[in-house]
Amino acid sequence: MEVPAQTSEIFKILSKGQFISSNSYDKAISTLYNVLDDEQNFENLYEYFLNINFILEKGDGYFYFSRPENKIDLENKIDTAFRWIDYVDFFKTFDNSFGAGYRFTPSEILVRIKTDAELETKLESLKKHTGKDNHKDILDKALDKLISDSFVELENPITHQYKVLTSFKYLEQLILTINIPDDVRNEIPE
Amino acid sequence: MNTFSNIKELLRALNDGRDLLTEMFKKRKSADYKYEYALDLIEHNENRIQYLIDRSVIRQNGNNLEIDDLYLQFFEQVLEANEEINTSYINENLEKVKQNIDYYFNEHNEQRKYEYLRVIKNTLRKIGVITLRNVVDLKRNIDNTFKSEPTFKNKKAKLINLDNKRKDITKLIEQTESLISEDDITFFKTATDEELNRIIVQLKLQLQKCTHNLIEIERQVIDFLNQIQQQSGVVEKLRQIKYLKDQFRLEAETDIKQVISINNSVIFEPNPSYPLKLSLEYLQTSEEAFASIKKIAQRQKSGIKLSQPVADIISDEYLETQIEEEIQINLEEVKNGFVAGSYNLFDFVMNYKFGKKVTFDERVTIYCQMVSQYETVFEITEQYSEKEEIEFAMIYPK
Repeated sequence: MEVPAQTSEIFKILSKGQFISSNSYDKAISTLYNVLDDEQNFENLYEYFLNINFILEKGDGYFYFSRPENKIDLENKIDTAFRWIDYVDFFKTFDNSFGAGYRFTPSEILVRIKTDAELETKLESLKKHTGKDNHKDILDKALDKLISDSFVELENPITHQYKVLTSFKYLEQLILTINIPDDVRNEIPE
Repeated sequence: MNTFSNIKELLRALNDGRDLLTEMFKKRKSADYKYEYALDLIEHNENRIQYLIDRSVIRQNGNNLEIDDLYLQFFEQVLEANEEINTSYINENLEKVKQNIDYYFNEHNEQRKYEYLRVIKNTLRKIGVITLRNVVDLKRNIDNTFKSEPTFKNKKAKLINLDNKRKDITKLIEQTESLISEDDITFFKTATDEELNRIIVQLKLQLQKCTHNLIEIERQVIDFLNQIQQQSGVVEKLRQIKYLKDQFRLEAETDIKQVISINNSVIFEPNPSYPLKLSLEYLQTSEEAFASIKKIAQRQKSGIKLSQPVADIISDEYLETQIEEEIQINLEEVKNGFVAGSYNLFDFVMNYKFGKKVTFDERVTIYCQMVSQYETVFEITEQYSEKEEIEFAMIYPK
C-alpha cells in the first residue's frame, strides 16, 4: 500500500485532535488538504490509520480523526461540547453569518460589546471557560482556544485579522445533530 | 402642467439644473432631499427650482424634493446604474418587433416597408443591449443582497425575488431566440438586409452570453440560498440549545448524551504528548544535539556557587615523629664472634648475649640460619649432640 510522503505531517496534526481545512491560509495545511482530497490517497490513508486505531473522517471541506471505540468518559465530552456551544453562541451573536470563511478582528468585537449588552453578557459568561477577567483577555483566551482546536486561524498578524476555517462546520453540524423533542421546542420562547 | 415643447428646451432645462440634478441623483437612495439644500445649490434662485418642478423634472413632496421617476429611470438606464431589473421592457420590445413584422408584411409601399424594417432593427439591437444589461444588474444585485442586506428574512425574500427575475429573463431570451429563428422565419428569410443579418448575429451572440451568465447566476443563487438556509438553521438551533443549556435542561431533555457518546472524534481527547527519549547515539554524535545541550546547559546554569568541600586541618598528633626501636640480630657479628672463639656453634648461639631477650626456639633458628649462610667458614663435623630434644651437628670455626 502506497501512502503519500506527507503521512507523518497529516498524522501529527490530526492525532492532536486538530482539523485539516480546505480554506486554510497556511500553505502547508492546504497542501495536506489537497493530498487528502485525492480519492486514492484518502483510501490508502484510511486503511493505514485504521491499523493504529484512528478513523480518518472526511467532512465538508475538512478532515479529522475519530476512534473506533470510545476513550473519553461522557462527562468530559459533554463539558467540551458545552464550552463549544457557548463559544459558537457568542460568535453567532456577534454576527449571524459567523461561519466558515468569515473574517473578523478582535477589536471589531470589542467595539461592538460597548453598544451591545447581550454580547457583553455572553462574553462575560465565557469567563468560566477562560479564567480571565477583562473583556479583551477573555476574548483573546477564547480565540486562542479556537485556534488551538484549529477552528479559526490568524490570517494577518499585522492587522490582527482572523479567519474562520471550514472545520467550523463541524461544530455547526454537531449542534444540528442534537435533537430537541417537539414538546420541549414549543416551550422555548421566540 | 407645462411640458417641454422641444428637445432644445429640455436640454437647456437639464443643463441649467445640472448641479442640482447631479447631487440629487447621487442621493437618490436616501428618499429625502431637503428643499433648503437645493436652494443653496442653485444660489437661492427659487424660480429655477420652480421651473423644474413645473415641468415635472423634479417633484416636491412637502419640504422634500425628488427626481421624477421618468427622468430617474432615464438617467439610470443611460448611465447603466439601474438596480431595478425591468423584464417588462424586454417584453415590450419583443411585442414591438412582432407588431412591426406584421406591419412590414401588410405594407406594400417600399418606403414605408423600409421604415418598419428600421424600427425592427433598432428594437432588436435594443433587446440585446437591454437583456445583457439586465443580466449584469441581476448579478450585481444578487451579490449585493447577499453581502449587505442586514435583515435576514428580507435577504432571503429578496434573493428569491431576484431568482424569479432570473427565470423571467431566461424565458424572454427563449422567446427572443424562437422569434428570430423559428416563429417569424419568413420575415428574416425574405427581408434580406445586410445590417439586419449582422444585428441578428450580434443579438444571438449576446443572448448566448446572457444564457451562460444566467446559468452561473442560478448556481450562485442556489448556493447563497443554501448558505442562508444552513445559517439560519444553525442560528435557530443554536438559540434553542443555548436556551436549554442555560436552563440546565439540555442534558435531560435532548439526546445530547447519545449524540456525544457515539461521537468518538479525537478532538474530544486532551492533547496527547509522546514523551519519547532521545536516542543516545544521536545525542553523542550529532553536532546539532551538542549545540542544543550547550544551550540548555547555559540556561540551566544557576547563580548558586557550589561550595567546594574543604578538608579539616590535619591534627598535630599526626605530624609528630615517633621512633620505634627494634633490635635486629646481626648474623655477621655473631659469626665474627664465633670464629674468634672455640665453642661449638650451637652452644655459642645458646649463650651469645644478644641485645634483647631471645628464646630458645629463636636461637635454634639463628643456628640454622648461620649454618646455611656461612657454611664455607665453618667446619661441620660428623659428631652430633643433643639438647632439649634437638639433635644438632657440632660445628666449629675453621
